[in-house]
Amino acid sequence: MRLVAATLYALRIPFVESFSHSAAERRWSDSVVVRVRDDAGTEGYGEGTARSYVTGETVEMMLAHLADELWPRVADRELPAVDDLDAIGKFLPETELDGVIAPHASRAALELAVLDCALRRAGRPLASVLPPRRNRVTYSGVITGGPVARAVQLARQMRTIGLTAIKLKVGSDDDVARVTAVREALGPEASLRLDVNGAWSFDRAVEVLNAVAHLGIAAVEQPLPRGAIRELAGLRHATTIPIMVDESLVTRSDADELIAAGAADLFNVRISKCGGLAPSLAIASAAIAAGLGVQVGSQVGETAILSAAGRHLAAALPAVAFVEGSFGTLLLAEDVSIESVRFGHRGRGRARAHGGGMTCEGCCDTRSRPGSGSITGPSRRRPAIRKTRRPEFSSDSFAPARIPCSVANTGSRRSDRPPSMRGECRSETTRRSGRTSVGSCAVSREC
Amino acid sequence: MDNGHGTLRSTIESCFARQVASFTTSAEFLALETGSGGSGQYDAFLENVARAHLRSPQLLAFLYALAPPSAAQDLRENLLEELGLDESGGRPHPDLLRDLLVRAGLGGRLATVEARADEDLRRIVVEPLLYGTLRDVGLAALTEIVAFEYMLSRVSGRIARALAEHRGLPAPALEWFTHHSEVDIRHAEQGLDDLEAYVRYYEFADDEALTIVEMTLRENVFARRYFRDFVATNAAGGRR
Repeated sequence: MRLVAATLYALRIPFVESFSHSAAERRWSDSVVVRVRDDAGTEGYGEGTARSYVTGETVEMMLAHLADELWPRVADRELPAVDDLDAIGKFLPETELDGVIAPHASRAALELAVLDCALRRAGRPLASVLPPRRNRVTYSGVITGGPVARAVQLARQMRTIGLTAIKLKVGSDDDVARVTAVREALGPEASLRLDVNGAWSFDRAVEVLNAVAHLGIAAVEQPLPRGAIRELAGLRHATTIPIMVDESLVTRSDADELIAAGAADLFNVRISKCGGLAPSLAIASAAIAAGLGVQVGSQVGETAILSAAGRHLAAALPAVAFVEGSFGTLLLAEDVSIESVRFGHRGRGRARAHGGGMTCEGCCDTRSRPGSGSITGPSRRRPAIRKTRRPEFSSDSFAPARIPCSVANTGSRRSDRPPSMRGECRSETTRRSGRTSVGSCAVSREC
Repeated sequence: MDNGHGTLRSTIESCFARQVASFTTSAEFLALETGSGGSGQYDAFLENVARAHLRSPQLLAFLYALAPPSAAQDLRENLLEELGLDESGGRPHPDLLRDLLVRAGLGGRLATVEARADEDLRRIVVEPLLYGTLRDVGLAALTEIVAFEYMLSRVSGRIARALAEHRGLPAPALEWFTHHSEVDIRHAEQGLDDLEAYVRYYEFADDEALTIVEMTLRENVFARRYFRDFVATNAAGGRR
């Protein structure tokens, strides 16, 4: 089995409401979706989310890195056996990219696509490689930054839909009032943790954490900026609230350093941030072996593809403290899959064990809106990538396109349902055995 | 009953009013009304309106099944009117929407729009339920229906004028809009009464009901349905 073609899609799906924290405000998703095809015509889909403040990647960087560095190293190579997740992980090279911590979102997108393709070719579900240890995963809600009144309103809404674990974004002057008000709105039973996104100084961290400790805080995530490992270790001794690392934890060497320094009680493992399913599993396993707790986290705005992969990971780990993601259409105006991977009441999502590939069947809207897209791929900057004619569709073309992507079990069902994803694919790059094309589209016809 | 923000009914109505204001001041709506949008934007808008409402009879039937006794008659009349089976002998509303597309030269798109409307309905059914009871699901659904009636009673006349002026649609094509600008004033008032009746019958606390109302409206449901790529800037539906 050899990979013979890849297509990149830069998605830009509007959020139903903006999401903010101390590091960024976001109104749409910035995902890069990779579709690969093997020599038998089997396709697989993967996704990575560019975050300049996490791995350092932007969408444009991802498109270029995937097209010029990662894809050429896997194209036309024989894939390893599908039942060896570690070997699939190692099939992808470790690459570097100037100015970023690690090009992990790019790597994750390709790794998931390769894995999905290999599994589908073999007619096996991901669960056969990564068996679930639980039937159900329970997700947390996340309260965005913004005014305290809005945080309280969101807390009430989350209580109404039965969420029992909540993460609250903090990192501004009103942190103590914010935490106090949200705890009051949630009631004493809910599990409440904080996410600072590295916005505090050591002294501010001690001040706030001491002030809110009596409110029953389950953990505080990334209280200090990335790189402050010694300070993190010191903070662990200065507060009773468990410390979780996120932005500090991108690579396997980060994990080893953090464990060695005793700098964290919990790791936030996110598939896009950590470079794919295999490296995420390795980091989570190292954490568990070292006695740390693990949160399976997500990037805001992940589509069903990463949500699916995250659910598999969360279901497969021997122990998981918290799980985030699978917000689906709670956050995205529309998602890419036919079958929803969104969690339901009480934050519950089923772990699924059947179907082919990562097992979620989806489709994407293939609307073309000439002129509304913008080419952000590498074609404008590098003549090595040849810009070709526009994809073959017109403004009234709605052709269904299925993403046999990643998680929810739909068995072997194929669907001729109409496309369901709106949003904007800002660019599309296709490479086939040395020939690469880039098209500008609303949502790619190739998809 | 006063919930600290006024009566439940007035609080919900305030939420609706903010949503309508947010919708009519959005860049997308202003482009539609001033004619600064391209013809493609008008076509997309027409398709989105049809997609949003083609399956309204099914949703009304669901709500009729959950209706408290005091609201059942209103909902049944709405349902029959939607189906063209009421005493006025009007045409089924989905047919008015089909006419709208055909007369706008979008007849070739009708099958796709119908399929998308079916898919939207299917998704409502198959997506995991966020709420724990049918009671809560019904309140969310009723809120959305009444919110649209409220908006259409105030805005559909403006939309019809804009479509006539800038898209060149003749009056018969616009019957769905003109009909709603007339009848939905009554429907919206009834709808607010029905919402309150629903809340009381199923014994919601006011705060509990308002939270569901806010969740339903949080994404500016009008802009989301009519301008599919609308990008949210804030939450407009909450209590203030």
